[in-house]
Amino acid sequence: MTATSTSQDETRQVLKSRHTTRSGLPQSRSTVALSYVILAIGVTIALVPFLYVVSTSLKETTSLFSYPPDWIPTPLYWGNFKSLFADHPFVWWTFNTLFVAGAVTALKLWFDTMAGYALAKMEFTGRRGIALLFLLSVAIPISALIIPLFFVVRYLGLLDTYWALILPPLANPLGIFMARSFIVAIPDNLEDSARLDGASEFTIYRTIVLPLIRPGLVVLGMFTFMLQYTSFIWPLIAVQDSKRQVLAVGISGLQSAFLQDWGLLSAAMLLAAIPITLVFLLVQKAFVVNDLSGALKE
Amino acid sequence: MKRPSPECVKRSTAYSRANDLRLTLSPEQHRALRKRYRRRKTLTAYAFLAPNLLAFLAFLLIPVVWLFISTFRTGGVLNAAEFVGLDNWRETFADPLATTSIRNTLIYSLMAIPAVFIIAMVLALALRTISRGSAPIRVALYLPTLQPAVVAAFIFVFVLHPDFGVINYAIRAFGGDPINFLGDTSLALPTIAGIEVWRGTGFWTMMFLAGLTALPSELYQAAEIDGAGAIRRFWRLTLPLLRPTFYFAVIFATIVNLQLFDSVFALTDGGPVNSTISVSLYIYRSLFLFGDIGFGATLSFLLVVTVLLLTGLQTFLLRDRK
Repeated sequence: MTATSTSQDETRQVLKSRHTTRSGLPQSRSTVALSYVILAIGVTIALVPFLYVVSTSLKETTSLFSYPPDWIPTPLYWGNFKSLFADHPFVWWTFNTLFVAGAVTALKLWFDTMAGYALAKMEFTGRRGIALLFLLSVAIPISALIIPLFFVVRYLGLLDTYWALILPPLANPLGIFMARSFIVAIPDNLEDSARLDGASEFTIYRTIVLPLIRPGLVVLGMFTFMLQYTSFIWPLIAVQDSKRQVLAVGISGLQSAFLQDWGLLSAAMLLAAIPITLVFLLVQKAFVVNDLSGALKE
Repeated sequence: MKRPSPECVKRSTAYSRANDLRLTLSPEQHRALRKRYRRRKTLTAYAFLAPNLLAFLAFLLIPVVWLFISTFRTGGVLNAAEFVGLDNWRETFADPLATTSIRNTLIYSLMAIPAVFIIAMVLALALRTISRGSAPIRVALYLPTLQPAVVAAFIFVFVLHPDFGVINYAIRAFGGDPINFLGDTSLALPTIAGIEVWRGTGFWTMMFLAGLTALPSELYQAAEIDGAGAIRRFWRLTLPLLRPTFYFAVIFATIVNLQLFDSVFALTDGGPVNSTISVSLYIYRSLFLFGDIGFGATLSFLLVVTVLLLTGLQTFLLRDRK
């Protein structure tokens, strides 16, 4: 009795002395130390540029170009933020960005899971043809379509509206393949038993498929939201009215229209980063577990 | 058709006899029913596909067809469109700026994509090695990715500034002369690529980390027992196993990077001396600055064809052949 427990303790100690990670592989101490050094360099390079933004947003533009640069301005200057809200429709830009990105994400998730379900689980005439059509259109760059899209949207009378920002991104087919790859992984007999119970395809989609692929949808949703939040060329063209503009375009307009007011620009960039960072913090755990790249592997 | 086993038939006799009383189908009726069933299934499937098919039709297919037709026409904005044959194509290929923009875009992609992949792969491997503190590190690495490209571009004006940028600060500390990164014709395009690497690293690190995490750890334990070192394991095991991830990464990065627009629009507007003009920027100019639809359409169509050919080639080279 005592003997076995001692040997168990020994095993445990041996195991403890080696550093085990999520990959399930023991790692030597030097490998771990090297990894931390590499990551420290990476994090520094990722974050230091933001210090400029924070610091500059709290300075008056006249005292900007002092040398050596003072990182923490004294006294703190809040005028950039005040001017951003008083002189520019910054609240509108934020609202528009969140509204458009949210709408595109919700619609994309809905439409892509429906299409993904049809392509993954249904037998129908023309299935291969449609899959090929969507696959080919993955490779069509949106910025090559800005001229015809401009005329299509103008023909539909949608220039300068939210529709102009929301509808064209719905044609991006990448999400269909991601959704399909999640749905293919669901065992067929789950749906079949529901089908025997008389459930319609839509009921199966809503009550069985959607709940099962939720973790993947979180990542796909974040991916779509982020692409939309950072999109630039199409909003730049589709919307002229400053109040209807999104953050990225509004911010770039601050620079050209008001002769390089870096303090104001930094204040805008800082505030613009907050909503998307919060959204990411909410879902970041799901990111490591779900591999979206399986979408194109067939 | 499979023949049912005798026991099965015996057991189901009572049932089928009862069934026969109610329902006997002639072959024709059977065929008609099956046809109806299949038509119903197909209709349901197309109902599920309808929203995406509509979006595809209105915002992809019609624009691409429109592009193709426009490459043979001129005008169409203020005056009526006129058929001009291959004039636009000749003009595009003869235009030195069009050639420059294509070359810049390709060079930019060849600089940005390999760099961001190597850096992200190293960071993903490092992240997989550690266990403590990985969540905050991941968030920090991802912050640049969450910024629009124009914001990343403006941030780098500070970092690269000849007077107070941190890089020139370091160069001066070591006794060098400050460098005007964005004002130099040979440095501007690599600098734009560098900004994109900074912004894209978080995204690809996360993508590769997800791929790495999904790999079966038994294989690695077996390889370690067989005496394969870390470097050998990486080349012989990790890289081949990550092939699907790389396939997606290469395709997606190619499509995104060949559309280079935001950062050059915000920072250099194609300059200095057209050293950073990209295809997308030139397309934008052709529409909004000189209103030449035919020329812009031809350039756009060239971009579509280039991306399609490149991703097709990558598919041929990288896809699993099983």
